[in-house]
Amino acid sequence: MQYAVETFSLTKIFNDWWGRSKVFAVEDLHLKIRRNEVFGLLGPNGSGKTTTIKMLLGLLHPTRGRAVVLGGDSTSPKISTRIGFCPEESYLYRFLSARETLDFYGKLFSLPAEVRRMRTESLLDMVGLRAVANRPVGTYSKGMARRIGLAQALINDPDLLILDEPTTGLDPIGTRQIKDLILKLAERGKTILLCSHLLADVEDVCDRIAILYGGKVRAEGKVDELLRRSTGKQINTGPIGDDTLAQIRRLIESEDVECEITSPMDRLEAFFIRTVAEAQQQDQPTSGAVSTTRLGDFLTRSDTTEAVLDRLVDASVDNVPDTTEPATEPVAPAASPPPKADQDFLKRLTQAAKPVETTPVAPVQPAEPTPPDEIDIHILDRLARGDEAPEPPQPRPEKNDA
Amino acid sequence: MRRIWAVAITTVRQALRMRIAVVFTVLLLVLLPVMAGSMSGDGTHKGRCQTFVSYGLSLTSLLLCLLTIVVSVFTVTSDIRNHQIFTVITKPLRRHEFILGKLLGVLVLDALLLTFFCGGIYGIVRYLPTHYGADPIARQQLNREFFTARASLKPMNPDVTAEARETFEKLRKQDEIPPEVFANELRRRQVMDWIIKQKRLEKRAAGVGERILWEFHNVRPVDPTENLFIRFKYDALPGSKTEMWGRWAVGPYDVFAYGAKPDRPIYDQVLRHSAGNFHEIQIPAVVVPADGHIALGFQNVPPNDTAIVFPLDDGVELLYQADTFGANFVRAAVMIFVRLVFLACLGILASTFVSFPVAIMFCLVIFFVATFSTFVVDSFNYLGDSIGGVYNYTVKPIVRMLPEFDKFNPAQYLVPARLIDLSVLAKAAGRMIGVEAPILLLLAIWIFSRRELARVTV
Repeated sequence: MQYAVETFSLTKIFNDWWGRSKVFAVEDLHLKIRRNEVFGLLGPNGSGKTTTIKMLLGLLHPTRGRAVVLGGDSTSPKISTRIGFCPEESYLYRFLSARETLDFYGKLFSLPAEVRRMRTESLLDMVGLRAVANRPVGTYSKGMARRIGLAQALINDPDLLILDEPTTGLDPIGTRQIKDLILKLAERGKTILLCSHLLADVEDVCDRIAILYGGKVRAEGKVDELLRRSTGKQINTGPIGDDTLAQIRRLIESEDVECEITSPMDRLEAFFIRTVAEAQQQDQPTSGAVSTTRLGDFLTRSDTTEAVLDRLVDASVDNVPDTTEPATEPVAPAASPPPKADQDFLKRLTQAAKPVETTPVAPVQPAEPTPPDEIDIHILDRLARGDEAPEPPQPRPEKNDA
Repeated sequence: MRRIWAVAITTVRQALRMRIAVVFTVLLLVLLPVMAGSMSGDGTHKGRCQTFVSYGLSLTSLLLCLLTIVVSVFTVTSDIRNHQIFTVITKPLRRHEFILGKLLGVLVLDALLLTFFCGGIYGIVRYLPTHYGADPIARQQLNREFFTARASLKPMNPDVTAEARETFEKLRKQDEIPPEVFANELRRRQVMDWIIKQKRLEKRAAGVGERILWEFHNVRPVDPTENLFIRFKYDALPGSKTEMWGRWAVGPYDVFAYGAKPDRPIYDQVLRHSAGNFHEIQIPAVVVPADGHIALGFQNVPPNDTAIVFPLDDGVELLYQADTFGANFVRAAVMIFVRLVFLACLGILASTFVSFPVAIMFCLVIFFVATFSTFVVDSFNYLGDSIGGVYNYTVKPIVRMLPEFDKFNPAQYLVPARLIDLSVLAKAAGRMIGVEAPILLLLAIWIFSRRELARVTV
């Protein structure tokens, strides 16, 4: 499998004015980010996250080692056409309006005028800034500028999206929206490199993470595996009576382990989103961004040809496992679409009076590799789009929430 | 090209919306009408027009040069300092495209402003005679001597090196040159230069009754029914009469030099003019033969009682209408644009490797040296004589590489209504746009393509 991002002993040493090596910002970094993966790069301030991203994008030259992005050099227009980058702050031209900003970046991707216009309006809707789209970006609040910063990273519908602290300065709805967007893009086969120290955000969306400290990787792996505690168990139920509760407590304490029973708390994020949604329904005026949960049409929509191809590919995915290592552990195919199935499952768990029997998830046995020449999505993509299409997305396995 | 154009348009917007260009524009919008209303020159309509065009164009040129330096440096350094470059250069935009886009943006802005203000100056100067109620005679004079483009021909200085050397040897034999002067190469050369100048002046001097004959090639008046002009100034000995007489004759060279039979009228007049001032004599263009080879004769005639000398640089020149004022004005604007191109490339280059204040200082130094290039080159040459080889191989090539804005000053052509010949324009453009600007641009692209845009020095 070709990795979306791969680094080989990537090292960056910052020098002082006299050229003497002073700071090892990144040291001997071997990073492998698979296609169709949401990868989180975590670490405290100064751990080398942003330096790594800048080296990936060619803004800094590695002192040693090298980085391969989408199979090539990220500074090559052929590769950078497929990359979206949202830096840690919205470095935008203050004198341009939001609409002009998106149009400008669209021109840098040589997008036709009609496509630019359509995507600009779609992204303005998505980030809730259509009403103030003609105001100079310099007059925006930090959060509003952040939204436009994110929108510019999406104007080219990138295959690889690099987000450096994307939720900084955003309100909870904006944060939720970005997380939804990341998941949606991942569903479409995009690769996302998320760099953040807001751990809750990373935990919600990332498949794998790496934790940097002092320029070195201190931990790397799948989020579930890294966070799972094997020393305890947690049971979630719907409303149950005190008698049942007492029985459970006795049963557990008979195992000679401590048992703590509490009522579940709503997450503040969910509560906040609900409150603002109610205010919006009452047409409360605002001069800021209008919070929406809408995502850009072109980012979520598959065109007809792609939809057909997706179905074809999906159909074969169940029977044709990848011969190489998948992004996450393969699971048995669900009867209904994966995300919906998860939600239903959780709902049943929280509402049913009786415990629900769950079926253990069995790993899929690797089958004989099928020759890939049945459907050449490259060629079909190119034919459908009339240009050179990027690598096809790898089938994204559903996240194992069990 | 679309990406380069996108960067260019954004650069223009940046200059306009960040109010850099607006400050300069407002300044010119205020100053030009004030100048038109307050400048009267020597009190004549021609003087008023000449003064306004001279100061108006010079001011426009100066402010646009400063604007070009500021915008070209600001637009790149601010993108780097404020990190907008992170989101721009990570798009499919090659670094040389970014530099070319920035340059194109600055030049588009320059072209727009230059067109606007030159158009304004042209309109005002055309309206000035009407505004001040010029009568038909004054208008005619203006059309003849200002609202026109006259080609200028100056007689060649004869080669007097052999005569000068002979005189030098003669003086040395007569021990009139001290041995210490003769031993010092620098002082020997200074004496030689002085003798050459004296010899040339002798060729431009006429005692009472004596005459001087000058030769001009390629005299091509646009309209043979129009006039030629002899613009001259002569000096007489101090204490002599202020008004001197002279016999002026113009016609085919063969007639004057070889006594050929004239096939057209010959101009022959005795006129009186004051010494020490510039004058113009109007001569019908019909005297010019088809081959454009003419002779101009001057005879110092009684009742003059002293010799007359025509200064070497501007003692005499022949002017004739070769184009219109409007076309000449466009060429003057192009001449200004040429220097703006050079300065834009210089600003872009400086901004690729130093910060805003340092880049501005660097560009301003180059700009002022180029503006006074003749003085600077002469000064360095004078100083360089004492340090010989070191100067020749270090400072001299650098000084020679600098552009010479003062030699291509459009006001010095428009004020005396002289044609800005295409060869002059080609010379200015060839050097500044053809050689110097591309070198600066290539250097800028080379540096920018290799530098770390997110560099941190700890």
